Amino acid sequence: MSDLAKRCIAELTGTALLVYFGAGAAAITLMIARGTDTGTPFNSGIGALGGLGDWFAIGMAFAIVIAAVIYSMGRVSGAHINPAVTIALWATKRFPPGETGAYIVAQLIGGALGSLLFAASAGMDAVTVGGLGATAPFPGIGYGQAILAEAIGTFVLMMVIMGVAVDKKAPQGFAGLVIGLTVGGVITTIGNLTGSSLNTARTFGPYLIDSLLGGPDLWVYFPIYVIGPIVGAVVAAFFYGYIGGEAVTVE
Amino acid sequence: MKCYVCAKEGRSPDAVAVGIICGMGLCTEHAMREELDMWEGGYPFPARRVKAKIPRILCPECYHALKGK
Repeated sequence: MSDLAKRCIAELTGTALLVYFGAGAAAITLMIARGTDTGTPFNSGIGALGGLGDWFAIGMAFAIVIAAVIYSMGRVSGAHINPAVTIALWATKRFPPGETGAYIVAQLIGGALGSLLFAASAGMDAVTVGGLGATAPFPGIGYGQAILAEAIGTFVLMMVIMGVAVDKKAPQGFAGLVIGLTVGGVITTIGNLTGSSLNTARTFGPYLIDSLLGGPDLWVYFPIYVIGPIVGAVVAAFFYGYIGGEAVTVE
Repeated sequence: MKCYVCAKEGRSPDAVAVGIICGMGLCTEHAMREELDMWEGGYPFPARRVKAKIPRILCPECYHALKGK
């Protein structure tokens, strides 16, 4: 098996774990809150039990699985587990063009596999009630607002990746922990705006498996999670390259 | 400094190296050279083994422990 194939398997596995545990935590929260009086149309179920604490818990599920994947597979494939990160590294000439497409395909398949495995583990309530943790704008949040929120969230994520991992002067060994906690913090704030995907593959997986298993059809919102994360990540990568100057070495 | 291995055998040649793991003084006869792989990259890039090696001096005991012999 070629080296690229092995790295794609690592990306697929990492993204599957991200979706299983991260998006799975959102689905579980909706299943637990089923039937609860949410009190406000801005509350779709996540937040009914512990307010912003619900989002913090989901954010921590993402944080821990992201740290686990980065520390376990970071040296194998780079553990991007996010098409926006791969595209941003490619756009700034830090990642080979010939491998970018393969990584993205692996991440999308991994996202779908993670959702499928979660549905198999949790049962059909995870699909019909939890929507497999699929992301969508919340009531009152427009299409443009959702793209902006996703772009800003992914901008923060990519800035941190550049600062703690890509920058050669960054202290070693902290990337997984810091990047995981960054995603957790971003989810806590913008989770109730867009679901806080920051990752096209993380949204693609639940959307696809929801469609196949009779869950909600949310494809009309998919462009939000393509445009927002990719724009945010690419802008952050160029922005950090500009302000970081020679501190950021091109691979 | 004298070679620790030779000293245990009652000889006293000068040490020319120090074992990187245990710090034992070693003569030319007992200093064992091992070339370790060197890697570059790591998150968010795949790690790659580079052509260059890192030379290391080991005592016979550490060398055999490293090799599992």
